[in-house]
Amino acid sequence: MSDTPLDTSKRTWLIASGCAGAAGAAFTAVPFVASFQPSERAKAAGAPVEVDIGALKPGEKITVEWRGKPVWILKRTPEMLASLEKTEPEVADPESKRTAYPTPEYARNQYRSIKPEVFVAVGICSHLGCSPTDRLQPGPQPSLPDDWTGGFLCPCHGSTFDLAGRVFKNKPAPDNLEVPPYMYLSDTRLLIGEDKKA
Amino acid sequence: MAEFKEISPNASMGAKLTNWFENRFPTAFSEYEKHMSAYYAPKNFNAWYFFGSLSLLVLVIQIVTGIFLVMHYKPDANLAFASVEYIMRDVPWGWLVRYMHSTGASAFFIVVYLHMFRGLMYGSYRKPRELVWLFGCAIFLVLMAEAFMGYLLPWGQMSYWGAQVIVNLFSAIPFIGPDLALLIRGDYVVSDATLNRFFSFHVIAVPLVLLGLVVAHLLALHDVGSNNPDGIEIKGPNAPMDANGKPLDGIPFHPYYTVHDIVGVSVFLMLFSAIIFFAPEFGGYFLEYNNFIPADPLKTPPHIAPVWYFTPFYSMLRAITSEMMYVLVLCVVAAAAFAFMKSRMTMGGKLATAIVAAVAIALMLMIDAKFWGVVVMGGSVMILFFLPWLDKSPVKSIRYRPDSHKWVYAAFVVVFLVLGYLGVQPVTPLFTRVAQLGTLLYFGFFLLMPWWSRLGEFKPVPDRITFAAH
Amino acid sequence: MKKLLLSLALSVAALLPVVPAQAATEGIAWDKAPDVTNDLPALQTGAKLFVNYCLGCHSAAYMRYNRLRDIGLTEQQIKDNLLFTTDKVGDTMKAAIDAKQAKDWFGANPPDLTLVARSRAGHGGTGADYLYTFLRTFYRDPNQATGWNNLAFPNVGMPHALWQLQGEREPVFEKVSEHGHDVQVFKGWKQVSPGTMSPTEYDAAVASLVGYLQWMAEPAQKTRVRVGVWVLLFLLGFTVIAWRLNAAFWKDVK
Repeated sequence: MSDTPLDTSKRTWLIASGCAGAAGAAFTAVPFVASFQPSERAKAAGAPVEVDIGALKPGEKITVEWRGKPVWILKRTPEMLASLEKTEPEVADPESKRTAYPTPEYARNQYRSIKPEVFVAVGICSHLGCSPTDRLQPGPQPSLPDDWTGGFLCPCHGSTFDLAGRVFKNKPAPDNLEVPPYMYLSDTRLLIGEDKKA
Repeated sequence: MAEFKEISPNASMGAKLTNWFENRFPTAFSEYEKHMSAYYAPKNFNAWYFFGSLSLLVLVIQIVTGIFLVMHYKPDANLAFASVEYIMRDVPWGWLVRYMHSTGASAFFIVVYLHMFRGLMYGSYRKPRELVWLFGCAIFLVLMAEAFMGYLLPWGQMSYWGAQVIVNLFSAIPFIGPDLALLIRGDYVVSDATLNRFFSFHVIAVPLVLLGLVVAHLLALHDVGSNNPDGIEIKGPNAPMDANGKPLDGIPFHPYYTVHDIVGVSVFLMLFSAIIFFAPEFGGYFLEYNNFIPADPLKTPPHIAPVWYFTPFYSMLRAITSEMMYVLVLCVVAAAAFAFMKSRMTMGGKLATAIVAAVAIALMLMIDAKFWGVVVMGGSVMILFFLPWLDKSPVKSIRYRPDSHKWVYAAFVVVFLVLGYLGVQPVTPLFTRVAQLGTLLYFGFFLLMPWWSRLGEFKPVPDRITFAAH
Repeated sequence: MKKLLLSLALSVAALLPVVPAQAATEGIAWDKAPDVTNDLPALQTGAKLFVNYCLGCHSAAYMRYNRLRDIGLTEQQIKDNLLFTTDKVGDTMKAAIDAKQAKDWFGANPPDLTLVARSRAGHGGTGADYLYTFLRTFYRDPNQATGWNNLAFPNVGMPHALWQLQGEREPVFEKVSEHGHDVQVFKGWKQVSPGTMSPTEYDAAVASLVGYLQWMAEPAQKTRVRVGVWVLLFLLGFTVIAWRLNAAFWKDVK
């Protein structure tokens, strides 16, 4: 085959059709791959959720659903906020520097929220996805250390979190509780799922 | 372990990789040669020969778009219609996938009908290719079932009532009919049960059968070699060969026909895209207007018609009225009389024929015309299977047949188109008469073929194919 | 062979006009709806009319409010002016009425209108033509339960939702002798009491509403046509390349 003279016209058109065919195939693939993206229905169902926290009393916690996940909103008392200082040396990532569940900039502080009194977090343990139970009362309790200052205990594998959702050291869960994007529409209205950056 | 072919260590990476595969999967290479690079096809293929590869293309398109539709479609009577609108509106590019599938269904039939017509014209069904034709007829039958079941899935008014009417046809069969219809539906009327089983058949069961038949069709073809517009055998014992034993009138399928078929594919895709992007409903023939209304078991639409590709056969079904039964009885009498007087059967054979005819006539007068309509509709498809044995012409291709035969084929095409047109129209006395005439002509074309295919002066068939260099 | 096929095609085509097109089994011939598909302000007016006058009884269950962005409205505009039956802009357009009550009051549940512009197409014209005619041919009829009848859809169970805009009109019929017997032929309209819009204004409003319904039946239509142009141009180019590739291979075949 190598001794026959090169057929330039065949080569030209083979290259041309090869390139055009590849381009055509790529263009054709785009809509099919794009159809995998979340549909309008999924996006509508995952739309941000407005929550009225005007009636929320200090020490009270409510749960709302956003994108199929439980989102906790806890009105922290001054004692609860004070406990965060005490748990600082005990937690694995006190400054929320880890990036697996990136903490929004406005929550990269000790209390992990925009306003200290109102704590917003996704109530899913960063270990394997169970929802931790409330252990907001300080003091010795089953499965908890005697110097417990209040927080959350995951029943599945025993991970514990403080009242800012920060995971304690040497627990199965590697990360702090996720803080979702959220913003204040007014002093008493939160919008979960959207923040000013979006 | 078979003997491995050695390769020089200085060979290129590509050559070494090829060698590795060739040692472990030689079949891939030998089959590629057998079916592509060393499969010699006649040089004189014309435009009619595009439709086979186009059929394969449309099959692939339907399967791929079907896979993506099933990701979002819900086969539940309460959710199906809404899920189709979900695909059209909420799924990114869902509208395109849907239109490709709906247009593809109609395109499949256009392409397959033209493919079959090519076979009809050039005698591609004749010895030794009868089995290729039989597999093809089976594919056609299975394709009709596939399209019929797929059409129920959107659960629109036409989907529902079309299915209701056709399944009810089965209940016309004496004795077993109503039970059979119940078994098909899984319920007393077309319902969620019917939808679910049609979904299963349409998505997996029938496509697997279709793929198997297509493979058989192609393998059987390659075993006997392709026909051509001149109807001449290029690989027969008398066919001229070159020094390597390759037919002089043939060329390797790859690259000559792969490259040739790409042009066909490109032109087809232009037409296909023009419809999808500019006229996806195609005047209500590819996407029926009534199907944009959710199925309502309590409200029958004024005109229920099957989709356009079934209409020629549907026309014939409707043409069988009780009046028509008398005409058919006359035909049976005429056929029996002819067999008695003109055929060369033994007396015993002739008597048996007479008895069979008498029984048939009795049944035709006793059982409802509705049942015979179903029989005729079924017969109109099944008669295609017999074509290789009905054609007694000494010449394969229409090119060398008498001009009068060309008019017969033309008439057949006109009859088929007219029957198709009548199938989408509502019933009127005039239309019924025309459909009845059309039915007689359609069946006459096939049943009288052993006679008319021998009439006339045939032109001499050349030894070599007619080929003009490009 | 080619001549044969051509004469064949022509003979079939010649037969078609002989067979009369199936006339609508009921109702008058449809007017042609003006084409407002590229008039975004008209479509927005149509959306406003739909939400104000139709959504009370008819749902558009497959249409999401936020899709109205495609006809030039912002989410804020949608939220402020058009969200009547829900508070979430991602929701679908449900009717205000309860389905069971509607069936009691009207005898049948007012049908969903998302696809009405596609489903009502027929021999008389496009679905838009039908709707344009339907919404302009209501007249007072004391024999009907709702007090209204319609020339395009005789004995319709729906009252004239837009009567305040059009006012009340009466159709004028003339007795004409046709094929030996007398037929009532529709001649024109008589305005009985005025509406808030003049006939021209009303026609324009209905054209907008129908344009909106036509768009709502297939919101992807603009994208579809736009993408289609590019696809066809690409395929045209590819066909030329494929044709030359084929020629390059076959020139050696003798």
